[in-house]
Amino acid sequence: MNHQVISWNAIAPRIKEFRETVYLLKRNKLTRIALLAIYALIFIAIFAPWLAPHSTHIMMDTNPQDKLLAPCTQYLFGTDELGRDIFSRVLYGTRISLQTGLLAVGISLLIGVPLGAIAGASEWYVDEAIMRVTDIFLSFPGLLLAIAIAAILGPSLQNAMLAISISWWPWYTRIVRGQAISLRERQFVKAAKAIGTPHYKIIFSHIIPNCIAPVIVQASMDIGGVILTIAALSFLGLGAQPPTPEWGLMISTSRTYFLSAWWYSFFPGMAILITVLVFNLLGDGLREVLDPKTRKKQ
Amino acid sequence: MREKMLSNVKGISSLFTILAIAGLLVCFSVAAATAAEPKVALYIQDTEPILDWDPSVESGGGMLVLNNVYETLLRYDATQKKIIPLLATSYTQSNYGMTWTFKIRKGVRFHDGSKLDAKAVKFSIERTMKLGKGMSYIWAPVTKITVVNKYTVKFDLEWPAPLDLIATSNYAAFIMSPKAVKSHNQDWLSQGNAVGTGPYVLQKSTMGEEVILRAFDDYWNGWGEKRYDFAVVKKIVESSSRRQMIEKGDASATVYLPAEDLDQMKSNPNVIVNVGPSLENTSIMFNTQRAPLDNKLVRQAFAYAFPYKKVVKYAAGGYAIKARGALPAQLWGHSKSLFQYSQDLEKAKQLLKQANYSQNSRKLLFTYVSSMEADKKMAEMYKSDLAKIGVEVELRGMPWESMWELSKSRKVEDRQDIFAMLWWPDYCDPYSWLYNMFHSQKEILYNLAYWSDPKFDKLIDDANYEMMFKKKKSLALYHEAQEMLLDESPSIFVYDKKNTLVTHKSFKGFKDNPAYPNVVFFHETYPE
Amino acid sequence: MRIFIIKRLLLGLLVLFGVISVTFVIVRVIPSDPAAQWVGPRATIEQIEAARVELGLNDSFFVQYGNFVADLAQGDLGKSIRTHQPVMTELKAFLPATLELVFLSTFIGVFLGLYLGVVSARRKDQWVDHLCRFFSVATVSIPAFWIGLLLQYVFYGTLDWLPLGERLSMNVKLFHEIPDITGMLLFDSLITWNLVVFWDALKHILLPGFVMALFPIGLVARMTRSALLEILNEDYIKAARSYGLSERIIMWSYALKNSLGPTATVVTLAIGYTLVNTFLIESIFSWPGIGNYIASAVVSLDYPAIMGVTIFSAVSYVFLNLAADMIIALDPQVRT
Repeated sequence: MNHQVISWNAIAPRIKEFRETVYLLKRNKLTRIALLAIYALIFIAIFAPWLAPHSTHIMMDTNPQDKLLAPCTQYLFGTDELGRDIFSRVLYGTRISLQTGLLAVGISLLIGVPLGAIAGASEWYVDEAIMRVTDIFLSFPGLLLAIAIAAILGPSLQNAMLAISISWWPWYTRIVRGQAISLRERQFVKAAKAIGTPHYKIIFSHIIPNCIAPVIVQASMDIGGVILTIAALSFLGLGAQPPTPEWGLMISTSRTYFLSAWWYSFFPGMAILITVLVFNLLGDGLREVLDPKTRKKQ
Repeated sequence: MREKMLSNVKGISSLFTILAIAGLLVCFSVAAATAAEPKVALYIQDTEPILDWDPSVESGGGMLVLNNVYETLLRYDATQKKIIPLLATSYTQSNYGMTWTFKIRKGVRFHDGSKLDAKAVKFSIERTMKLGKGMSYIWAPVTKITVVNKYTVKFDLEWPAPLDLIATSNYAAFIMSPKAVKSHNQDWLSQGNAVGTGPYVLQKSTMGEEVILRAFDDYWNGWGEKRYDFAVVKKIVESSSRRQMIEKGDASATVYLPAEDLDQMKSNPNVIVNVGPSLENTSIMFNTQRAPLDNKLVRQAFAYAFPYKKVVKYAAGGYAIKARGALPAQLWGHSKSLFQYSQDLEKAKQLLKQANYSQNSRKLLFTYVSSMEADKKMAEMYKSDLAKIGVEVELRGMPWESMWELSKSRKVEDRQDIFAMLWWPDYCDPYSWLYNMFHSQKEILYNLAYWSDPKFDKLIDDANYEMMFKKKKSLALYHEAQEMLLDESPSIFVYDKKNTLVTHKSFKGFKDNPAYPNVVFFHETYPE
Repeated sequence: MRIFIIKRLLLGLLVLFGVISVTFVIVRVIPSDPAAQWVGPRATIEQIEAARVELGLNDSFFVQYGNFVADLAQGDLGKSIRTHQPVMTELKAFLPATLELVFLSTFIGVFLGLYLGVVSARRKDQWVDHLCRFFSVATVSIPAFWIGLLLQYVFYGTLDWLPLGERLSMNVKLFHEIPDITGMLLFDSLITWNLVVFWDALKHILLPGFVMALFPIGLVARMTRSALLEILNEDYIKAARSYGLSERIIMWSYALKNSLGPTATVVTLAIGYTLVNTFLIESIFSWPGIGNYIASAVVSLDYPAIMGVTIFSAVSYVFLNLAADMIIALDPQVRT
């Protein structure tokens, strides 16, 4: 009861801070455009099957007599090697990329955050053990580790997602640990400890809620990178499997038809570029707004 | 500080001036050098030119390089269906195909200067057999090799076998210099050395990337007026890169371009698209040990659901012919009167009903080699047609190694249901083809339909035995065996691939020989 | 200071050991049959069995691990399953090409990035700043494998200004003496004043170098900008301004110098990233380096080669991190 009041006191100013953040974010032109674009992408992702003019071309049909047609009114972005509408597939690809991107970041958070909090709030040997494991994972080039894991698990979109999560979580562990160490010394945590709150409860009801904000920021900045990595894995044949309209896979396939059909690699490539770009712009804006040194000077 | 910055800028601009002058100089010197330059043939492909330089071991893609550096006793001309003498001038068989005697060509020198004789032949084949690697098993029937005299060598066999065909094999039948091999350690050849009798000498090999060959002036068959002084084989992965290079004349020959590119290139006067038959064929293997494909009716339904025409036209881009039976049209044993499936979705539905196939059964797993674009397209089209008869399929493109490993999983449930297979003969013989893919096997190797039928085994065993003596009977037996395969449908025979090799117009003299797929014998070619 | 370095080194060793162990485990569970691969495409059962014995695959897991670590201690990474050559030899052969590419692209990245960052910070919130920021975010958002293909088509296919890939033209390779000191062609040819080779190598490295530089450009620009903006608000800069020093001098000689600490960290990060990016880029440009090597190794599951490259990259990562830590430790601002 007692410590609940304390944590509410800790949270209240954060809500105000959050509102302020949103306000500051929207003041920056580039960031505002990025935000609008992200809303649009989310809209597309949700309604892709209904927006697509040839929805059967997404997963079901092949239509080879119309193969590799240049963009025209019937097929806005042209057709692929099996005569499917690239526009419909690119639209649907938005859903796949956003979904897998968010999920991969989510899984990394699920692994990374608790580990970081435990490391930061526990005895030195627990801390050391967790952090050295983190170091080991950080010493692998991320893409290479993901490649290896995807190779073990077998190629599929889910496995690529898992592989990325496994190579991504240590970043969050590091951030959370740093936060947790400073929180450990704060009054409300000490108070909770004094009244005999169990260790795990301190971690999950005091430490984690209070250091989640910077992690969320980091995570939102990472979504772009994760989407790019998933595309790269699919490009290498370790991610999505045909006929899934994943952008990286589409580019990978399009390499074969590069000289006879420029539109085939162009549009999925632009889709990746735009999506990753707007997420990165948002992340950039967020960082600027949230960094105490540059916050008020906007 | 400011002055320093400025001087830096000055430094940079003067560096640029130097670079520009240097560039000009280079342009001049290159222009001057081209006049007297030796001729280079550049062959580009998407895979490594060679993996293991040991001619007794290599079986993974070095066919082109090895056949220009080394030579075999005989060569098989698959378009004329006849055997041509190479290092052997003639041969005889006796004792019901159990004894073979070869006369060795005189006056042939190895690249190290030593002379070819019967001893060198004995040494090379015995070395390959002893190492037991790569495709060395083709020599399995041989029990003894005897040097009769300096230029005669005799092979004794344990069972009758077409040793003349075996000696034409595109791997593991090369003759190497005993002198060079003996004076180095075991790994010497592997490490990138070669001493053969072929028209080209190995000059430099960058592992996995590039092989540079130089013309061998003392080649026994002599040289024409025009020749390529250098032949370079190089790996360029992107097909778009290969096409751009050949169209500009930066490369002389290339393979494995996508059909769309080939169609467009036919109208380009600078390149020649050589299309010829091949001995490779694509088939689909069903997991006959696991439901639902353990049921013959379901397999037949699947065979009727397959879009043969569309696959030949769009997956292979028309560079293939629909298969008739298991054996490709160019291989002895092929029969023109075999039954051919064609797509009939109604019939497929009916057969499924007859087999009590439940619409809600699990998704079937279809694996194919991820780098094979044609297989990918085939898989996608088949998937969409199977969906029309109520069968759900999951596609998975994998590297061959993992796909093969999955297919050999101990538990049948872990294996795939449908497997896209590419097969080619090790030497031009139907028995090894049918044996590898469909003969009962104790341990799974290439029989990836997991099919086993003693009746079929006996048919092909008998056919093989009769082949040496009663060709007609043998053919009839092979026909019967294939009819059986078609009825039981452990496999769909999809198409015989065509070889497509694109050459630049300046690259002359190339003759396609499907027994050595995509191999250019550079000695035959010349620049113009 | 010395204690700090020793401690970091020891930690680095520990991490390396962990990396090696994890790599070993990972690679062993990749589904493939190394023995069958070792023998080649048309292996017989007997051959596969023999290879299994030859490769020691019948030993228990721990024996294999022990052998692996023992070999590694002697610098032996095993033999490639595909080419049957020692992985170490192959790595050595492919390394210089990759290093050359990584160095050049980092170099381009740092210079262009610094420049963009400075311009951006000086004209904060003007359209130049927005443009620079947009550009620097765009460069880290572009799928490098895609832009590589596009640029090839433009500069080789359409304009015919630059070669498609590889390190040298066939003619230069065959008919000119290629200097081989470090294996990095630009450097070697310049040292030996072999301009034919230098020019040819330069033409070949431009496209892949630029594609790989994109990411560091964006990274360095963003970091420089934010570091500069912080510093420009410091009192001593304000003081300098009040003395009437020109904005250019303040920017280039005071502010930039002090923002080099964080930028250096980013540069090490960028090198690490570039190293991994070679896996995607080199095969597109037929660049005979480590990236190309591992791309073929991954496709054919050549596990000793995969392990070799992984361990190599991990070692470089550990050293890069160490370097970054030392730069920070040596930075007077941090030390005080």
